[in-house]
Amino acid sequence: MDDTLAQTQRLKAAIHFTTGQICQTIAADCGREFSRQAIAAIAETTFRQCDTFAKDLEAFARHAKRNTINVDDVKLVSRRSTALSTYIQQKSEELASAHQEQKEKRRKNTVKRKHQDTEGDPEQNED
Amino acid sequence: RRRAADPTLPKSYVQNMFKHFAKTQVSKDVYPVVNEILQKYFKRVTEDLEAFASHAKRRTIEKEDVELLMRRQGFLTDRSPVNVLIEKFLPMEYRKLLIPIATSGNKVIPKQ
Repeated sequence: MDDTLAQTQRLKAAIHFTTGQICQTIAADCGREFSRQAIAAIAETTFRQCDTFAKDLEAFARHAKRNTINVDDVKLVSRRSTALSTYIQQKSEELASAHQEQKEKRRKNTVKRKHQDTEGDPEQNED
Repeated sequence: RRRAADPTLPKSYVQNMFKHFAKTQVSKDVYPVVNEILQKYFKRVTEDLEAFASHAKRRTIEKEDVELLMRRQGFLTDRSPVNVLIEKFLPMEYRKLLIPIATSGNKVIPKQ
């Protein structure tokens, strides 16, 4: 029980820190100041929002008879607000393309390695 | 103005339902507002159900889609499962349809 409390405290502290950073960048952009209480309130709201998000994502993944949460579930959570869903759509496409590029790179690397293996390294012949 | 072709719930039904849940006197001019809200509600709910069904790669809306929707709306929690709500709000003939074991006197009657 105490252990879980410490864990949540740690998580909340991390969220609070990140929230502070984001608020600082926004404050620099707008020329406004965030009070400490405001930042703390935003952090707390974020924490509880994460709770609902987690439950929703779990429910959506189970609904599609999966045990793994994937991009479709996240899109479904953000479906309510149009701007957010378009943004997430863009992000997911970017991620997918990056993933594709990485895959191709890896494939090329493996092909190269195979070539080297077939040619036979002179260092390997010493064993 | 909405088209006359739009399907709506009967006026008396909506009024009685609203009166029943409001537990106070309800004036007549509330009805158009409530009806408008109902239309919007149905539109939104159908969109949600469509999304949930397509998420599970189905083209038919099933009971579990509705359960998921109600869970997101906060009507269903772990403390109040769907059967509790059915027993609370629906009349007996619908309860028999949804929960086959729910008959008066709690006797299980085998199907003829």
